[in-house]
Amino acid sequence: MSFFDWLPFRKKQAEKTQEDLAEIRRTFATRYDHFRLLIQANSETHELMAELEEALRGFQPYGMHYVRALCTRISTSIFQMIRHLNELDQGSYEKLYDQFSVIQDKIVPHLESRQHNGEGKLVLALSEVGRDQADLCGPKMATLGEAGNKLGLKIPAGFVVTTVSFSKFMKKEGLEEEIDRLIQTADADDSEAMFQVSSKIMQLIIQSDLPDDVAASILEAYDFLCGSQGGEVKVAVRSSALGEDSEGAAFAGQYRSILNVDRSSLILACKEVMASKYSLQAMAYRINRGIRDEDVAMSVGCIMMIEAAAGGVAYSRSPMNIRDENISIYSVWGLPKAVVDGSVEADEFMVGRTVPMQVIGHHIADKEEKYVCDTGEGVCSVQQLTSRRTEPSLTDEQLVIIAEQAVRIEDHFGPAQDIEWAITKEGDLYILQCRPLMQLEGSPEGVLQSSSVSIPELTGGRTASPGVGTGPIFHVRKDADTLHFPDGGVLVIKQALPSRAALLSRCSAVITEQGGIAGHLANVSREFGVPALFGVKGALTSFEEGQVVTVDADGRAIYDGRITELLKEKPRHRLMRGSSVQATLRKAARHIVRLNLIDPDSLKFKPAYCKTLHDIMRYCHEMAVREMFEFGTKKEFVQAASRQLICNVPKQFWILNLGDGIAPEGRKRADRCVLLEHINSAPMQALWEGMQAVPWEGPPAVHTKGLLSVMFEATVNPDLNTTSSSRFSQRNYFMISERYCCLQSRFGFHFCGVEALLGDRVSENYASFQFKGGAANLERRILRAKFVGEILDEFDFKVRIREDNLNARLEGLERLSMERRLKILGYLITHTRQLDMIMTNSFEVEKYKKKFFEDFKMFHAVQ
Amino acid sequence: MCSIKVLLVDDEGDFLRTLGKRLSKRGNVVELAGSGEQALCLLERFEADVVLLDVKMPGMDGLTLLSLIKQKWPLIEAIMLTGHASVEVAIRGMELGAFDYMMKPVKFEKLYYKLEDAFRRKMHQEERIMAMVKNG
Repeated sequence: MSFFDWLPFRKKQAEKTQEDLAEIRRTFATRYDHFRLLIQANSETHELMAELEEALRGFQPYGMHYVRALCTRISTSIFQMIRHLNELDQGSYEKLYDQFSVIQDKIVPHLESRQHNGEGKLVLALSEVGRDQADLCGPKMATLGEAGNKLGLKIPAGFVVTTVSFSKFMKKEGLEEEIDRLIQTADADDSEAMFQVSSKIMQLIIQSDLPDDVAASILEAYDFLCGSQGGEVKVAVRSSALGEDSEGAAFAGQYRSILNVDRSSLILACKEVMASKYSLQAMAYRINRGIRDEDVAMSVGCIMMIEAAAGGVAYSRSPMNIRDENISIYSVWGLPKAVVDGSVEADEFMVGRTVPMQVIGHHIADKEEKYVCDTGEGVCSVQQLTSRRTEPSLTDEQLVIIAEQAVRIEDHFGPAQDIEWAITKEGDLYILQCRPLMQLEGSPEGVLQSSSVSIPELTGGRTASPGVGTGPIFHVRKDADTLHFPDGGVLVIKQALPSRAALLSRCSAVITEQGGIAGHLANVSREFGVPALFGVKGALTSFEEGQVVTVDADGRAIYDGRITELLKEKPRHRLMRGSSVQATLRKAARHIVRLNLIDPDSLKFKPAYCKTLHDIMRYCHEMAVREMFEFGTKKEFVQAASRQLICNVPKQFWILNLGDGIAPEGRKRADRCVLLEHINSAPMQALWEGMQAVPWEGPPAVHTKGLLSVMFEATVNPDLNTTSSSRFSQRNYFMISERYCCLQSRFGFHFCGVEALLGDRVSENYASFQFKGGAANLERRILRAKFVGEILDEFDFKVRIREDNLNARLEGLERLSMERRLKILGYLITHTRQLDMIMTNSFEVEKYKKKFFEDFKMFHAVQ
Repeated sequence: MCSIKVLLVDDEGDFLRTLGKRLSKRGNVVELAGSGEQALCLLERFEADVVLLDVKMPGMDGLTLLSLIKQKWPLIEAIMLTGHASVEVAIRGMELGAFDYMMKPVKFEKLYYKLEDAFRRKMHQEERIMAMVKNG
């Protein structure tokens, strides 16, 4: 049954009763409502697709939650469009639902969480662990086990709580789902919100109970460890995260380690380490590196505490320069914690890769404090004896032993290594951790001479990450300060604490008073390419908050103001390149973004040819506009809706009223005409004003070649055959309501479409412009499309050109700005007629452009 | 637009209260329910125009609540608002008659427009039904 059959006035067309008219009005209102909601969904999808394309470019960080939310939003909007289109014509577009599910089925699998299979042991003894167990134990514990069991290096005894345990924990009582929900609902750009979400999730994990079998296995393994050591032992509880092996993201080092733990705190410590998967810095790190949350599983290493006389980190090669083969060793008295934290300055040694190895350089720090195991639990910092403060913490023999082991480990595993070690009072060397070291290319241009630029405010420190950065100084003394950190600020902190890494994606440079370049913050700074200068004495007190400085990390100097000579043009870093999150989005986007249905007149403009969500969107929009036109021009409704426009004289424009687009006095007119002053449509009034502002001069003077091109085109292009009836006949139609306007017109040889919404909801306002065809050959038509595109670009339109087909769109401007742009569109519609003829004449083109911009001044600019 | 009678259903108390306050400030009549069961009780005495409901709630889930509301009060418009991104749930919900599916976080303004749109639809529906009844 068609829509018309049940309308009451159908049967007695002769005279329409009041009731019939009311019914027509209601029908129009309902239809217009569906149309309006379809247009709204169309705008929404436009915005979301633009967002998706921006995300694909990969400059901005995002996570899987974002990808999932974005794809869901797009699908929802598209579904809404299909729904409203079907409402416009009683379900004649049902086929679109099938096409939608076909496409949806291709998108969804990419968005689903990859599940770690829950098989395998809950706990493994470190002595059974090797590289092959990386899936269960995370790469850190797997390599440590390998170094002990295969290379025969000394490692502490211990056990690993596997990723199987972690997954089991996350699955328990919907914990993971709740975590997903918390992340999903937070705005990733709002640092305060992220801060709260992070702590909420960590609390949630810590307050949840481990599955009984997991907890029992952990304690059993601990008791077994004590038994094998002949008495109660304390352990270090360390993270060993699985799933951070995306390209370039060799390590994060952003998780918790809890030292010197006994049996009573062991379970809690394990949960705390697991919870640190969601620490603010770990979450920020994953977002910035495009690592999917669900790909990261935390296994937890519980290894015996080593009472260290000295400890630290060894790099088997230089982290700063890939061509430097020397081994760097950073060392402090006591536990290595201070080096890893980057909280204090450490002794630095360089050992040459010669046979035999030789210490070739050193820098001895003033080591005021050291970390030792507390008698009860945990660790504490104690004052160092004055006499030993400036003594080297390692002897040359010890340095060579460490260096040799570092090289052995590197030989075994392949890439350069970052090794944490400790030496006992007895002189036994233990390897505590090893992982691949990320190396930088080194700076081939060499360092600029500081003196050639200007006088630095402050010099010194160690280069923790090379480069030059500039921005306003921002001091961070406590966590709460991080909430106000400005984008592009220079982070100034006392100690190089790892937790500050959460700010790195927004820093232009980092300065610390204390801290070594072997710490986590330095590592992550290098990974993110943020210049960092550590151990700069007086950094905290030398600069005012907000003072703009230039930090030259290579030249170890800080300058007042912005020193442009130092700032080399740095290409924008595509953060997300190669990440698994981006790869996932790309796979899903294949079925979303690409537009195949370009030509509405083509025989392939059908639901069956919709290959992407974009195709469906295009199809729905086109058909909705057609439906509205056709419905409005049907005989039964003509009197109610369609009128010829009179502006002084009758014009070749017809008005189709969607509802409230014509004032009551205009509707009363019996002759099917409407005066311009009765048009009650803000966007149409603006557009019309632009169209009429300056009379058209007529077609440009065509030189012979241009004319020939027209004659040739006329023989091959059916659109130019003016007798054929194409869509909406040859008439020019405005379809209007108070806030909406859609103009479809054929001006001579080209097609022009404008659609605009202009109302109180600023965020929903938009104007779109479509322009295609022409009489000249394709080359000239393309040139004209580009010409128009360039002009619109100046007025903030987002322009896309495919062959001679131009699409321009503008969103979210307030009324006056919107009106001005509509006037410009109107002007262009009138004055670009037949301009394609002269497009190869650059002199003429320039002339027209100049005239256009001169005329635009009439449409006064608004701020 | 005139005042809308809104029922908010969400197990997240803070969210519920904050949103309720903001909607009341704009002159709407707001009722709050912490669960699906409570929402059904409230609807017995509160003639809501629009129900804004969370999808995942302990007890009765949002989709069940939605279908019950649509069965009993087909003219009430329902908007789903959720923290779990799921196309499947979104489509299922719209098939059950939900006006739209929105994801948290959402800008208040956007949410408000959606409420207005849902309300407008309800007015149109009512008008047509009234006319049909009048004309027999």
